Amino acid sequence: MTESQRPQGGLRSDQVSGLILSALALYVGWLNREFPVGTLAEPGPGYVPMLLAIGLGLIGLLIAVLGSRSSALSGMVWPEAIRALVIMTACVLATLALERIGYRITVAALLVFFFGVVERKSWWMTATVAVAFSLASHYVVGVLLKVPLPRGPWGF
Amino acid sequence: MVETLNSLMHGFAVAFQPEVMMYAFFGCIIGTLVGMMPGLGPLAGISLLLPATFGLNPIIAIVLLAGVYYGAMYGGSTTSILMRIPGEAASVMTCVDGYAMTQQGRAGPALAIAAIGSFVAGTLGVLGLMLLAPTLASFALRFGPPEYTALLLVGLFVLAYMSGGSMLKTLAMAVFGLLLGMIGIDVMSGYTRFSFGITELGDGVGIVPVAVGLFGISEILMTAGQSDPPKVQRPTLRQLVPTASDLRQSAAPIMRGSLLGFMIGIIPGSAHVISSFVSYGLERRLSKHPERFGNGAIEGVAGPESANNAAATGAFVPMLALGIPTGPVTAVMLAAIMVHGILPGPMLIEQQPELFWGFVASMYVGNVVLLILNLPMVGVFVSLLRIPYAYLYPCILAFCILGCYSVSNSTMDVWIMLVMGVVGYALRKFGFDLAPVALGLVLGPMLELSLRQALAMSGGDYGIFLDRPIALTMLGFAVLLLLFAVKPLIFKGKDWRSKVGLDEPADS
Repeated sequence: MTESQRPQGGLRSDQVSGLILSALALYVGWLNREFPVGTLAEPGPGYVPMLLAIGLGLIGLLIAVLGSRSSALSGMVWPEAIRALVIMTACVLATLALERIGYRITVAALLVFFFGVVERKSWWMTATVAVAFSLASHYVVGVLLKVPLPRGPWGF
Repeated sequence: MVETLNSLMHGFAVAFQPEVMMYAFFGCIIGTLVGMMPGLGPLAGISLLLPATFGLNPIIAIVLLAGVYYGAMYGGSTTSILMRIPGEAASVMTCVDGYAMTQQGRAGPALAIAAIGSFVAGTLGVLGLMLLAPTLASFALRFGPPEYTALLLVGLFVLAYMSGGSMLKTLAMAVFGLLLGMIGIDVMSGYTRFSFGITELGDGVGIVPVAVGLFGISEILMTAGQSDPPKVQRPTLRQLVPTASDLRQSAAPIMRGSLLGFMIGIIPGSAHVISSFVSYGLERRLSKHPERFGNGAIEGVAGPESANNAAATGAFVPMLALGIPTGPVTAVMLAAIMVHGILPGPMLIEQQPELFWGFVASMYVGNVVLLILNLPMVGVFVSLLRIPYAYLYPCILAFCILGCYSVSNSTMDVWIMLVMGVVGYALRKFGFDLAPVALGLVLGPMLELSLRQALAMSGGDYGIFLDRPIALTMLGFAVLLLLFAVKPLIFKGKDWRSKVGLDEPADS
């Protein structure tokens, strides 16, 4: 680690990640209250999750405590965050549409969005690749491998 | 020995029948393609093909399905090396150094070594299956729940100790994976845990959506904002040939991976997944320059790839000799045999010599077919990189969605993949290693079940782990590993990671 990555003061990345893991462990422990823990000799369904939650919580705390020499949180850069958000939003919409409008239309629309809108490729190339990929992948997986892929209300 | 050779010759007579060879060839091609497709994997491929084998004779059916299985082991490495997307779970470790080699412009040698390693391991594995099956299978038969518990704990400690980054972070990710494995119905009590009322989560979280999300989607998200997208390599055929140095560096890892993979493969569980993790850890541990691992060490490709192929072959030992499936893949293959009225078990070799020896011989043939298919076709696979990234990543995303949906024809797996993609992205930003999450997910349910079964066997007495020699030996090894792992926390700067500059003592 270089000195430039260790500015004075401020939260460190390991401190934050360690605390997040400990918070996750607390949440799991809280969810686990619904399941009988049993005894040491006769563990119940909540026994192993409880042990794991305790383990994760302790490890998270150790990471946080020992994380004072990790890189500063303020030094972390997220240049890809907006594009990543766009990608995830498109994927979420595609997943929502998959069983409603069918595989072929969903994938074609998803690819048109990426090629045409995000990557700004020419429209004829966008349309060709999107439709070709959609139909070809459906043929290989849906027809040759006989995987039942979702169809839309129009039958395809 | 003479009898074995005679039987093998008989097997080759069966395997060289044109129809059997044709189906072995088809199986290998389908397997390679299935292994390359993120999300499909050998289990999905075999499950999809199973109904098609009902009309075939049992020898052809099992030869076809086995071809898909070990073909997928070959194919799984391709997308791992080229795109950092594991085609199937066992290829997770290949992503690490295989993809690093691709980024350095050495995709060709990585693919070639993966194919050569897979061939050597597959061939040695068949040799082991043929010669050592009865002895090794009887040893694995001694394993009960206490031994499994001990073995799985050893696996986790090995992972933590061998990890290249922060041991605490590795452990945290392993525990996170184990917790993911707790989602779903508890088989011993019937409780549905952590499902948030979502019916589909009752079956638990599958390894495929988690692996594709953690490794595939997160990679796409990480590279999304780069003004300079990942550079593509355009190697000539000559550049695909590994150098003498590559071959020299890979020879020992291939042999070690083959032996290790075969030994782990005969033990029930997701052996081929575990074997690649253990092999990777072993190679890093044995290396004089462990800091190269994660940065394109060819040993990190050769070892795990050999191990997962040898493990795939090793998995056939208890399946054929004892009729015990070692995992879901072999369970489906046993079902394919039983459909034809053949009872798997110790009498199978005696009663169905044509099936057993024909199968063994077909695997020799299949490995040669796969080597021929994969080495010249390495160039075809590498040409995938010639596609501009702007076209490639949306297609990969669509393939990820398709692959995950195909596993159980449910959008739930796609949702899991997307969530794990975001989680993987965040974890990578914070410097966490993702591979232990995948391993933890696989081991979690097995560890919990074996622990509780062991305690049920002993009436709640933990002494059962000390009374049984195999479990005791493995637990002793686990404790030893734990002590070595804890040592750097107490004596700062004494860990092997800090000695080679892999990590800082403060958080190791």
